[in-house]
Amino acid sequence: MYQLNKVDKRFPGVHALKAVDFTIGRGEIVGLVGENGAGKSTLMKVIYGAYQPDGGTVTIDGTAVRFQNPRQAMDHGIGMVFQEQSLITNLTVMENIFLGFEQQFVRFGIINWKEMAAAARHQLKKVRLDIDPSTITAKLSFAQRQLVELAKVLTLEERIDGDLVILLDEPTSVLAKEEVELLFGLVRELTSRASFIFVSHRMDEVLDLSDRVYVMKDGEVVDVVTKADAQVDAIQRKMVGRDVDKEYYREQKQKPYDPAKTLVSFASVSLPGAYADISFDLHAGEVLCLVGTEGSGREAILRTVFGLEKPSHGTVAVKGAPYARRNAQEAVARGVGYVPRERKIEGIVNGMNVYENMTLSQMGNYASNGVLRIAEEKALARTWIDRLAIKTPDVYKDCGGLSGGNQQKVVLAKWRSAGSDVILLDHPTRGLDIGAKEDVYDMVREMCDDGAGIILVADTLEEAIGLSHTIIVLKDGEFQKRFDGSAGGKPSLFDLVHHMI
Amino acid sequence: MSVETFKPYFPWITLVALVLIVGAINPAFFNLGSMVTLVADIVPLFIMALGMTFAIYIGGIDLSVQQVANLVTVVATVYLAQFGIFVAVICVLCGFVVGAVSGWITTKQFVPSFVSTLATGFIALSGARYLSGERALSMSAEARDASFGWMFGNTAGVPHELVIAGVLLAIAWFLQTRTTFGRALKAVGAGELAAVSSGLNVDRIKILAFALSGLFAAIAGLMFSVKLSGGDANLANGFLILAIVAVLVGGTPLTGGVGGVMNTLVGTLIVVVIRTAMVYLQVDATMQQMVFGVILIVAIALTIDRSKMGTVK
Amino acid sequence: MAIAGTSDARRSLGFLSRDTLVKWAPLLVLLVLIAFFAVMEPRFLSIRNFARILIAATPALMIAVGVTFIIIMGSIDLSMEGTVSVCAVIFAFCFIWLGGTLASWAWLALPFALLVGAVLGFVNGLIHVKLKIPSFMASLAMGFVGTGLAMVMTGGDRIRIEDEAFRALLTVRWFNFPIMVYVAGLFLLIAWFIQTRTTLGRNFYAVGGGEALAHGSGLNVDRVRIMGFTLAGVFFAVGALLAVGRIGIAETATGNNFMFLSITAVVVGGTALWGGIGGVWNTLVGVLIVFVIGNGMVVIGLPGYIQDGVLGLLVILAVILSTDRKSISFVK
Repeated sequence: MYQLNKVDKRFPGVHALKAVDFTIGRGEIVGLVGENGAGKSTLMKVIYGAYQPDGGTVTIDGTAVRFQNPRQAMDHGIGMVFQEQSLITNLTVMENIFLGFEQQFVRFGIINWKEMAAAARHQLKKVRLDIDPSTITAKLSFAQRQLVELAKVLTLEERIDGDLVILLDEPTSVLAKEEVELLFGLVRELTSRASFIFVSHRMDEVLDLSDRVYVMKDGEVVDVVTKADAQVDAIQRKMVGRDVDKEYYREQKQKPYDPAKTLVSFASVSLPGAYADISFDLHAGEVLCLVGTEGSGREAILRTVFGLEKPSHGTVAVKGAPYARRNAQEAVARGVGYVPRERKIEGIVNGMNVYENMTLSQMGNYASNGVLRIAEEKALARTWIDRLAIKTPDVYKDCGGLSGGNQQKVVLAKWRSAGSDVILLDHPTRGLDIGAKEDVYDMVREMCDDGAGIILVADTLEEAIGLSHTIIVLKDGEFQKRFDGSAGGKPSLFDLVHHMI
Repeated sequence: MSVETFKPYFPWITLVALVLIVGAINPAFFNLGSMVTLVADIVPLFIMALGMTFAIYIGGIDLSVQQVANLVTVVATVYLAQFGIFVAVICVLCGFVVGAVSGWITTKQFVPSFVSTLATGFIALSGARYLSGERALSMSAEARDASFGWMFGNTAGVPHELVIAGVLLAIAWFLQTRTTFGRALKAVGAGELAAVSSGLNVDRIKILAFALSGLFAAIAGLMFSVKLSGGDANLANGFLILAIVAVLVGGTPLTGGVGGVMNTLVGTLIVVVIRTAMVYLQVDATMQQMVFGVILIVAIALTIDRSKMGTVK
Repeated sequence: MAIAGTSDARRSLGFLSRDTLVKWAPLLVLLVLIAFFAVMEPRFLSIRNFARILIAATPALMIAVGVTFIIIMGSIDLSMEGTVSVCAVIFAFCFIWLGGTLASWAWLALPFALLVGAVLGFVNGLIHVKLKIPSFMASLAMGFVGTGLAMVMTGGDRIRIEDEAFRALLTVRWFNFPIMVYVAGLFLLIAWFIQTRTTLGRNFYAVGGGEALAHGSGLNVDRVRIMGFTLAGVFFAVGALLAVGRIGIAETATGNNFMFLSITAVVVGGTALWGGIGGVWNTLVGVLIVFVIGNGMVVIGLPGYIQDGVLGLLVILAVILSTDRKSISFVK
């Protein structure tokens, strides 16, 4: 029914989609998996009309179509359920559902709110969500917002006569187990009316729901498997391009940490609304990984160590002493370095060049009485560009213009060159290609060898297991279980998942 | 060489083009003497704009500068007889404090600078009106010349005002490009969250930026006061908008992190050239304001660098 | 000027009282002010005095309502001083040219003035959207053009409107209040209607709440922006007409001082400068706060020089009270 034939998409310097073939039949649920950067999101954007392909054709029931924008794709029955953040939070639920399509409720220029509320209620019923459609969206839980997203897309049912194709982008990342089951039940029911493309990191869910699974790697579809033939291991091997082995996460370089030297000590620490009663010790040479779903309190713990959050109970000691003033300046002075998830917003300063970014956290070391010694800054930057093989034409290049992997290297160089020995990594490999990921893993091992302690919030569970000495599983801000992850004795994926949800 | 390479120089190109066009139509414009006078006349405006640059460079704005200058003209006039040249210290301190208070309200109380500086401006105005007793005051010529006569002399044909402006520009430029403070300003303007995550004391940097803005406004006010030999709670009125325009036309956008004090120099010159050109080109007095507005739109459309803007609000 | 944080979920867990306080803070400030002045000087509460406050406030109210829509979108419009002057002057010329009294065809000057306001706003929006110039600069420059245009037309002269029928706006009182107060009330209701019952009004909130998301939902954001500036222009024109009606004079200076006054009022009323929250009732409260302060201080006999300072302090206080700090991570 809906088909992509040899679709190509290029961006400056990146061949994002390489002759991708993709079909979806009526009422089918198709899974789409791949590592970050494999081209999943580009493919989805082509499907729902946000990107236009450079080559190949898109056909619906054999007719070629070309969408200039998402609106045109919607008119052909293609809708996208975004991750939870795409609702406008200051609007009511019904306004969000009908945003851009209010005209059907307008008589003589006046919006008929009652009519819109009734229509919205009808849509919400489809997703079994019993809320007042005039609720302000900001008041909903994340799970409720996700269902509103789905309800919004389902308005296509009334609007379009033909078949529908609905894309679900990581719809389960913020949902609890029961909510996931509810959603899956809904999706299965709705196949009488629509086909679904389901994108998720959670392999078990993809296999559970989908009839067929497309596996992507480096902009190509490397395999299509049917539900009957699908095996998690085989798919993962395809995604990564080889066995996910010990080598990938540099497990052979993992050395035992030094239990005598404690860098960070958390003792019964609580932060209202984020986590409660968390205790752990981070030692020199240790990678401690916090594992849990979105909202389990992982990030808040990192931010607490960095002095950005003030816990209500318990003591946080960094190198033996609690913070006196508890702010980021003090944390940096104690040798804590923070590599945030939002690399482009919090990691690097977009608009400042390589050496400016590298010395941002340690300007005092490159200044006399507040006057910068710029030549030394540049020398530092050159050293680290060589050492980490950062791809940049020179030290004057705006960091915003570097690729993700190189930006991440700049951020890591910033902390390492300043001698930080407590490194907080929040999704350090998010959005990086495989080569860049491996570079980051190498750096993690090197830092441990140098005696640094690392607290990691990993992008995937495999990464968490592969990299860490210690794993702490969190759920809803509470400690669940502690696993030992010494080389050779690592827990399995399922051990962890069991405690996460 | 692509258009991209030239982008940072658009304001300069606009300035040169403007000067050449005006000069081609009326060569009298190129008279060196009148040009120097012309430039010397706008020194207070330039200094005010220079301070404003710091506020805009971090992504804020300072609407209090005009009222700070007003307050300072009154303070200088009232206390000149008592403190002599040291009245300058009081004036500068005044500006610094008003700016720092705006900065504190903005960073610690989460009041957008557009509002907080407007409000502190009102408070400064109140102070000026109180201190002046709602009258226009004048300095005794003697005391003025004794303390500040040097401000308006001439050395080898160069007006001292220009020297003052040059020194302040050099200081501001040094601050911006060579010091940790300047680097931190840029980081706050271009990516405040990244600056926080790098452990910078962002609040202090922001407060200092507003304080500097107030300080420069105070210097501008002092020069005004000495130049006009008096003080009045309305003396500097009309300069706020021009100062903002000078900064923006120079290529420092309201979003922050780009541009800087050199851009403000260009921006101020562009504004002045447009204004004087209208006199040289004999634009009718009633038409001038309108022509100024139209040219301004064209100049802004030409000079702003849109590549760093996501959505244009 | 501010970045929304990620604590929406946390906010929904509690803080209900804080939410309520934030929502009603501006009205609370207004009531406290009125109570304060009433205690200090009982004459403040007289109907005569309220009429005085309202007469002074109506032109500013209309202008503030116009700019409210723009601020809800997260933009800003600084062109009001120029637009008001142009509308006032063109209205006066047309009015006199067409007969000089409302009893003749001169009434046509009223809708024509609104049209002029719309055109100026439309041009303002076009420059902002099509040339991709931030609204701050585009509207500031348009303000210069407007003031300049008014100057060109009048040559610096004042135009007097002495028609009794038109001046009835001020002179004729129904239930102790002059007609202009009712006119302003009517346009306030229209603005409220636009804000709550029309697609355009709701789209302002969508653009202010998340421009990229609104665009992704298929909204023509550029069109909404241009329409917004056009609408603001119409309200500026209404403000201009009331300003002329109040003093019977149209001149270049008719628009003076409205810029900071109206924006202060909007912000004090609780409409956030970064867009998405607030509305015309907030603006009504904000305008009343500003004018009650001005009037109250005169009534209780405080010296004039204190007024500005007190206004400044109250502006800061009102904004601090009506800002939900939990939802923003930093402000510039």
